[in-house]
Amino acid sequence: MLHAVLTGIPLTLGVTAAALIIGTLVSLPLLACTLSGNRLLWLGARMVIDLLRGVPIVVWLFIFYYGVTLGSAKLSAFGAAVLGLGLVSGAYLAEIFRGAVSSVSAGQFEAGRALGMTSRGLWADIIAPQAWRVALPGYTTYGIGLLKDSSIASTIGVAEMVFQAGNFARTTGNGIVVFLLAAAVYILVSVPVGILSRRVDERMSAVVAR
Amino acid sequence: MVRVRDLSKAFGGNPVLEGVDLTVLEGTVTALIGPSGAGKSTLLRCMNLLERPDAGEIEIGSHRIDARSRFSKRQLYALRRETGMVFQHFNLFPHMSVMRNVVLPQQRILGRSKAEAEHRAQELLARMGLADKGGQYPNKCSGGQQQRIAIARALALEPRVMLFDEPTSALDPEVGAEVLEVMKELAAEGMTMIVVTHEMGFARNVCEDLVVMADGGIIEQGDPQRIMGDPSHPRTRSFLHAVLQR
Amino acid sequence: MTFFADAQEFLPALLGGLRVSLLLTLLSLLFGLPLATVLAFGIRSHNPVLHWLSVAFVEVGRGAPALVVLQFMYFGLPTAGLTLSAMASATLALTWTTGAYCAEYLRGGLSGVPQGEIEGAEALGMTWGDTLRYIVIPQGWRIALPSLMGFAVILFQTTSLAYTVTVPELMSQAYSIGSSTFKYLTVFVLAGILYAMISIPATWLSVLVEKRLNKHL
Repeated sequence: MLHAVLTGIPLTLGVTAAALIIGTLVSLPLLACTLSGNRLLWLGARMVIDLLRGVPIVVWLFIFYYGVTLGSAKLSAFGAAVLGLGLVSGAYLAEIFRGAVSSVSAGQFEAGRALGMTSRGLWADIIAPQAWRVALPGYTTYGIGLLKDSSIASTIGVAEMVFQAGNFARTTGNGIVVFLLAAAVYILVSVPVGILSRRVDERMSAVVAR
Repeated sequence: MVRVRDLSKAFGGNPVLEGVDLTVLEGTVTALIGPSGAGKSTLLRCMNLLERPDAGEIEIGSHRIDARSRFSKRQLYALRRETGMVFQHFNLFPHMSVMRNVVLPQQRILGRSKAEAEHRAQELLARMGLADKGGQYPNKCSGGQQQRIAIARALALEPRVMLFDEPTSALDPEVGAEVLEVMKELAAEGMTMIVVTHEMGFARNVCEDLVVMADGGIIEQGDPQRIMGDPSHPRTRSFLHAVLQR
Repeated sequence: MTFFADAQEFLPALLGGLRVSLLLTLLSLLFGLPLATVLAFGIRSHNPVLHWLSVAFVEVGRGAPALVVLQFMYFGLPTAGLTLSAMASATLALTWTTGAYCAEYLRGGLSGVPQGEIEGAEALGMTWGDTLRYIVIPQGWRIALPSLMGFAVILFQTTSLAYTVTVPELMSQAYSIGSSTFKYLTVFVLAGILYAMISIPATWLSVLVEKRLNKHL
């Protein structure tokens, strides 16, 4: 039984990590558009973010898995799961990052500009490092949430932890312990990540008391 | 030389500056005073284009920008490079050590090597009486120290003119005095300075030129001693009366 | 266009599913919010048994994916001799999730009530029960309201996972139409639109409420 759950762990972690990477990459252009000051770009990004967040993840996965064909090829279950979870993550992360950027005071932008920094230098050296520090707790919390949401990949047949647990329950008719075991693994993985992030946050804010 | 011609700026339909003309000679110290809402800070922020004026011309050294015509990013940076600015709330970068606050802009904007930039930073910090503060983070420093670090950061870029936007308003009087002392030394060395201030003592004793603003325009300009002794404009009179009462 | 013709054909069944999704959301909130209130006070309790029991209930409810809780109730409990209908097990699972998440929001709301106001009420001679009833709980609710509304939207979206335990909600209707007509894309896009048509305005509403409340606080 333990074996069934454990064999699912690599895919659970794999889906989570791949979706987090895609989500981070997707969030950046969305963030840039919402901060650009261009009304059209802002509106476009807003619509994409609201739509991605407004539709349940499982619907996105089904659309990508059953609905999207590239020529005659279909997306693999893993591909569809990572793409769907990644896009939705991009929308949520863009909002987390936007909040963090708006927490950096206007004076920081002004000081950088008054020193003659280019906007690229200003973002790279001044704004991003400060915003990242503010965003980190939210980013980790989202990552833990994503770990749990990766279980939805089981609905399109990705053989991660919940898929394995379900299989075990169906074939043996013994479902109570196996699901408890799966739940325990999620909790066991998320607790240390949460503690670690709080530790890092405390250490960083100890250096730079804001 | 710094010259501003016919400068206008409005925020959301409210005119803040209306056709302002101002000339500041090389090596002089000019004080901008006047009631709040007069447009002093906006005028200062237009000079380095932190605010983009609606109309008018700004000329610093050999660089000139006409607000009505298009200008390139390159022209904008070239003009800004001639100026250094000091803010009311210091605006140091909280995620960098004091040393790095002064070093990084030199590397990025002047392309100085790290060693060269550190050498210059150490020199400036020592002059500000902060030789031992390089390794600290800004928020561990007092307000007066932070403002002197901000001055060092601006000076490190070798500006032609320094713009001060109420540099002591956020400080206790005795701490503000440390900052004013540093500014006085700078003035004595011949730095061109434009200072928005409420420190009448500094305006009278250190500045060569006094500019009184009200309602988005300059109402009086000239020798500080003369204007403070015998203001000709009624608004100047009532403003000075109110300030000197305190 | 075939999309609209198909849409017209599928819509009645999908709307029937949506009704079940909304019902499941409502039931989970109906049972989950009182549970959350009890848990919020349980966590603040000085009784160690009550405290740790509440903490465990909340941490498991938040730490385990909703999908796992759902499957546990439907496929797991029968092993222990307790067989519930699909709708009952889904309601039970989402009630747990709701109780766990909302307990945290309520706890945040309760500790957001300024200590001075509680002391003020006590100084007026109000009993602890009255202080709780007239000062702490109404304000705590108000502070927590935007997060609770945000959670309600998430909960509504989470009901889409109840199709895995055969609740005939929107996603389940879409899936059965898809597998009989093979028009997967059309039917899932339609389902997505229906979910979005409720989630997006509801999110806007919660943002609006948050802004309104911030103005008064």
